[in-house]
Amino acid sequence: MAGQEQVIQEDSRGQEIWNNVKPYVLALLIAFGISGVIIGLLGYNIPKAYQTLILTSFSSRRGIIETLKKFIPLTFATYAFAIPFRIKFFNIGGWGQMLFGGTITAVVGIGLSGFNIPSVIFIPILILTAMVAGAAFAFLAGFLKAYYNINPIISTIMLNFIAFYFVNFVATTNPWKAPQTGHPMTLKLPEAALFPKVFGQIHLGIIVVLIAIIAVYYLMNKTVLGYEIKATGYNPDASSVYGIKMKKTLIFTFLIAGAMGGLGGGIEVMGVHSRLIEGFALTSGAQYGIFGILTALICQGKPLGVPLSAMFISILLVGADAMQRTLQVPVELVFLTQAIIVLLIVVLRRQAGGGYIE
Amino acid sequence: MANTNKVLEAKNISKSFGPVQALDKVNFDLNKGEIHGLLGENGAGKSTLMNVLYGLYNEDEGEIYIKGEKVKFNSPIDSIKKGIGMIHQSSTLVPEFTALENLILGTEGSKLNLELGEAKEEILKLQKDFGLQFPLDTKVKELPAGVQKKVEIIRAIYRGANILILDEPTTSLVEKEFEQLLDSLKKMVQNGVTIVFITHKIKEVLKACDRASVLTGGVMQGTVDTEDVTKEDLVKLMFQNQEINITESAIPIIDIPEVEKSKEPILSLKNVSAKSKEKDGTNLDSISFDIYGGEILGIAGISGNGQKELAEVLIDPNNITEGEIILKGKKVNGLTTNQIFKRNVFYIPEDRKNESILGLGDIKDNVLLGHQREDQFQQNGIVKWNKVKKETKEIIDEYEVKTPDEEQQIGKLSGGNIQRVVIGRALINDLDLLVTHSPTAGLDMASVEFVFNRLVDLRSKNTAVLYINEDLDELMEVSDRIGVIHEGKLVDIFTQDQYDKYEIGAKMIGG
Repeated sequence: MAGQEQVIQEDSRGQEIWNNVKPYVLALLIAFGISGVIIGLLGYNIPKAYQTLILTSFSSRRGIIETLKKFIPLTFATYAFAIPFRIKFFNIGGWGQMLFGGTITAVVGIGLSGFNIPSVIFIPILILTAMVAGAAFAFLAGFLKAYYNINPIISTIMLNFIAFYFVNFVATTNPWKAPQTGHPMTLKLPEAALFPKVFGQIHLGIIVVLIAIIAVYYLMNKTVLGYEIKATGYNPDASSVYGIKMKKTLIFTFLIAGAMGGLGGGIEVMGVHSRLIEGFALTSGAQYGIFGILTALICQGKPLGVPLSAMFISILLVGADAMQRTLQVPVELVFLTQAIIVLLIVVLRRQAGGGYIE
Repeated sequence: MANTNKVLEAKNISKSFGPVQALDKVNFDLNKGEIHGLLGENGAGKSTLMNVLYGLYNEDEGEIYIKGEKVKFNSPIDSIKKGIGMIHQSSTLVPEFTALENLILGTEGSKLNLELGEAKEEILKLQKDFGLQFPLDTKVKELPAGVQKKVEIIRAIYRGANILILDEPTTSLVEKEFEQLLDSLKKMVQNGVTIVFITHKIKEVLKACDRASVLTGGVMQGTVDTEDVTKEDLVKLMFQNQEINITESAIPIIDIPEVEKSKEPILSLKNVSAKSKEKDGTNLDSISFDIYGGEILGIAGISGNGQKELAEVLIDPNNITEGEIILKGKKVNGLTTNQIFKRNVFYIPEDRKNESILGLGDIKDNVLLGHQREDQFQQNGIVKWNKVKKETKEIIDEYEVKTPDEEQQIGKLSGGNIQRVVIGRALINDLDLLVTHSPTAGLDMASVEFVFNRLVDLRSKNTAVLYINEDLDELMEVSDRIGVIHEGKLVDIFTQDQYDKYEIGAKMIGG
């Protein structure tokens, strides 16, 4: 028997890579196949639509910048879902954490506008502000779960509403609101608080997101806390037997998730809009929070999978926008494609015997 | 096919799970009215063979004949119709239903109106005939494991089984219950029932069975009349090429050296009461005992009498409601698990898959578990993965874990190899106290021997070992003393000269 076991292990090791990749390849092929059929049935030009969907991001400088502009907030929204998902808790509140982080960033940024703080200090202060605000907002959900056993799915959805109306409140109330505009928005943040452009046209957020990717990877893979999160995700019972405190781990994952979400929101304020504006955390007509969940599900919440997955979805979103503009193919089609991809990946991974989703 | 005495014949049965050949051209037959022992180590294929005969698994090849008639079972529904009943190792009763409701569940009479009266009479008669007494109107969850076994046997007979397969029925029975069960089985045999008795204990086969078949690694080694063979013959059949000395209860014989016990106890419990973490767990009720260095203290008891709670209160003395726990002279009430572990204590839980390991993690993830806050493996919150890797490799080498490397997912290893990692992890630091709960469950003989030798080594190094196990034979083999736990109370402690299976067994069931 012992000899046979040895053989199994050798085999599975060789198959592992293909087994991991196969669901993705199959899911993509099938999903694009199905959306292709729908595009055809709706009477659009299939090759043209595909070309637009996939290649717009790469076809021009503008395409690349548009893609990165989606990639930055999407990556943060994805981490917001992905990190609690490591221990099988669903943070549906990534969007709310973005909104709250962005709002507090605007409030603090406008509040400090009289002090002539130089950029090198002002920007880090606001980055920190966004992270703390998002973390504090997400902490509520983590705390409610840890000490009152309230399902984070429910609490984070409720908190999303609070954050949404909080944006409106700040954007329509003195001293923050901008005078004489139809759409609710605040005053502009002082120039020193705004992200400069780097690499030509993309804002500083691209650097921040790269640092965040490295930091999350380091946190999850090299630190004791990351190990404890990973262990809890693998088996909460064994982890608790061996001294890893579930409540603490749970709250930490929500704090990190919230910090990521909040930072994503703050970056939108500092890098894109220069102010808080109602509906700021939206893309292609839907909120980043939802896309973050989809994106995290595609990569099963793995830390290094998040940027890859976020880049992939960003490319599709830019393509979908272009498809709607040039071919009048409704942008919803790309939502459909994504939904099919996510469902297929979940099913196919389950069949392959892997995956975190229980 | 003329031999009508054969109620069941299985020919050339093969079954594989993926690349694992669980059964390889196995022949097996049953004479009418016999108790037939099916003997083999854990993982030898005993349950697989019976699950094929019961229709739970489809055989890859081979043929099954019932009373000379060729049959093909696609599910247990088919086999039950042919009079085969199987009692699985773990209960298949509905805990919230009464015994009677369980018995009639799914039978003809239970479709719309529950005609309990008629059924009840028939069941009472069966109970009387076979000496399987239990209250019919008590919820099954309130019945002890040994009684639940009786309910399942009656259920199978009530549904018309005349071939009864019992998969390791004695696991949770004490000696007295085993003998009662044996009496009932003999009565059934007289009434024309044929019984398959699966076990890994040679002693039980010699005592209970008319014939015995021995499976090793999915291969049938032969069938013998138990009158004609000795224990040694069966050992030879069971352990073809291994040089293992075992007792009649199929336990490796371990050489236990003289060790001088420490003067002061390592651990003292003084009237410790604690609330169970689980909803229907057993609360600890005023438990007191001492363990000394260089001593293995066994804890015997029927599963669910507070063993788990006892182990947990030692490594997480947070939920003590009364009393105190003294570790090396210092009160440890209220300390966290990490603080307890820092005092050279470690724990090997009962439930290997769910509480011992991170099944989805690799071996090094698992080696770190429980040590993650120790300075040797982390600095300023950063894990020293190189150190963890090195330690993991040492464990793999020293304890001969069969694995390609330290990155292997641990859940894919066999139980014996997993337990080697778990024990290696527990022994990374020199220990004052090891708390271990059924560390040999489900292991093959070589691994059981390995585990026992590690416990005895620890004892030689003056570690105190608290060894909780349901299996009295195993406890008596290695323990210096045996405490008996019943309904959360430590009812007695036996020293080696007082060991007696009947007396200890009686205490285990509250006698």
